[in-house]
Amino acid sequence: MDLLECQDISFGYDRKAIIDRLSFTVKKGEIFCLLGPNGCGKTTLLDCVLGLHKIKGGQIKLGGQVLAVMKPREIARQIAYVPQAHEKTFPYTVLEIVLMGRASFVGITGSPGKEDRLAAEAALDLVGVRYLSQRPYTRLSGGESQLVMIARALAQNTKLLVMDEPTAHLDFRHELQVLEVMVKLVKEQGLAILMATHFPNHAFYFENQQVKSRVAMMEKGKFFALGTPGEVLSESNVQNLYNINARVLSYSEDGVEQLKQIVAINTVA
Amino acid sequence: MKTGKTWVYTILIIAPLLIMFCSLFMGRYPLPMVEVAQIIWCKILWLSCPFPDIHQVVVWEIRLPRAILAALVGGSLAVSGACFQGLFRNPLVSSGILGVSSGAGFGAALAIILFSHGAPVYLFAMVFGAVAVLCSFLIGRVYNTTPTIMLVLGGVIVSSVFSSLISLMKYLADPADQLPAIVFWLMGSLASANYHDIFVAGIPMVIGMAGLCLIRWQINVLSMGDREAQTLGINTSLAKGLVIVFATMATAGAVCVSGIIGWVGLVIPHIGRMLLGNDNKVLIPASISLGACFLILVDNIGRLLTGSEIPLGILTALIGGPFFVYLLKSTKGGGW
Repeated sequence: MDLLECQDISFGYDRKAIIDRLSFTVKKGEIFCLLGPNGCGKTTLLDCVLGLHKIKGGQIKLGGQVLAVMKPREIARQIAYVPQAHEKTFPYTVLEIVLMGRASFVGITGSPGKEDRLAAEAALDLVGVRYLSQRPYTRLSGGESQLVMIARALAQNTKLLVMDEPTAHLDFRHELQVLEVMVKLVKEQGLAILMATHFPNHAFYFENQQVKSRVAMMEKGKFFALGTPGEVLSESNVQNLYNINARVLSYSEDGVEQLKQIVAINTVA
Repeated sequence: MKTGKTWVYTILIIAPLLIMFCSLFMGRYPLPMVEVAQIIWCKILWLSCPFPDIHQVVVWEIRLPRAILAALVGGSLAVSGACFQGLFRNPLVSSGILGVSSGAGFGAALAIILFSHGAPVYLFAMVFGAVAVLCSFLIGRVYNTTPTIMLVLGGVIVSSVFSSLISLMKYLADPADQLPAIVFWLMGSLASANYHDIFVAGIPMVIGMAGLCLIRWQINVLSMGDREAQTLGINTSLAKGLVIVFATMATAGAVCVSGIIGWVGLVIPHIGRMLLGNDNKVLIPASISLGACFLILVDNIGRLLTGSEIPLGILTALIGGPFFVYLLKSTKGGGW
């Protein structure tokens, strides 16, 4: 069954269309990357899928249910969100933050119980940051915070994660750490991930790791190309999407594994 | 872990009761400690009391209602401050952020001018406090949602409008009797405490505090911001609306009997944060308890320090101000 199914969805402010009749599905065990220049509508599309924006046309189905008639609690049990920039306010402990991922299981007059606590700790274990659980999350580094945000999303126990530029502002190692966690979640837990990213090489990374992955190139609210990273991330597509010259490099390690990367050469006027 | 929490809750419940009990022994009217103890003892055992009626009245009709009212007002102001800080994701917000204090102040001033004194002051204060919050809410409402930042803006606008209306009332008031009445009301006092006040204003305060206690964990999630709270599965409009309604009931109830008492709603939640952390599950009940303790103590100081009472609004700021500076200095590295 498709975890997420979008049919002809449109969204815009006033008359200007930001999402223009898009159709796609996200299936169990795959990573779906949205790629495109700033302002092409990636984040808006994610907001529509999360139910934060009401779409103007078409239909979104989450796990077979129509999104438009679902309550926030029901949506949160189908789809979990890892925000791009999380603004920290009060110095909650990491465990308190991850417990908030259990909100859809807690009644309006309740608070998380033992079961929720176990789920939160399991989520922290899954991303490997259980040791942080009593630390104030305002004191974490960017990489640690992102892993905690992923743990909070995992505590929701959904089959589908939505991530908005999960590696923005991270250093080289932490970027790789987050990508490794994502691969692990998809391969070992059978989750699906819908992500927006600015780095085409993320898609190649997933393909190199033999994760089922697809890329949608987005421009002005439409998909300009959709397929596996190998198919979509061609030199000509990248040139058309970003107006740059690029080369796709391929390197074979041990003659078996193929590593692919795309390298930007220069901008085109 | 489990026993630690039980201890914390036990202390939070006992502390205000203990301070309330102690304040029965304190006051300007000279009553020996032993006599007060005996008066209390007689009352508990339903015995006839050998002491003059006036002494019993001082304990039961003056000191006790005053301590109860101080506890209710302090708890209400502190808990709504704590909730608004979470809701608005801003540690510097207090219970007056949506204009309830200025609205109530204007209502009281208007009532003093129209009817000179008496019951309408409470009613007007409470109604205009609620009207002010409603105005802030309507100003902040765009596209059928109420983004937090718009609510804050609405609150700032409404507060300043009602502040100038208060000035207008002062300008129009008869300087011989009405103006002092307005000024003293605005400074805050519990001097007129009686059981009737406690009963009338206590209802919204108790409902407000109880409501906030019930939905306290939701405030954690709301403090993640509207977007995230919704994706975590919270009906943000409903949850925000409930927090605002309950906090307004608590604050309006407090303000209408006590006048404007600053700092409690700002400083007390921070003491709670320092002592017990930021989880609203603990912070909300802790704020009620600490606010109650703080205001009973300050009220005792206010009535004992000099022959004539020092208005509460002055003392809370005098004590709260330096404390807040200390807090800012000491928590510079405290996780903020």
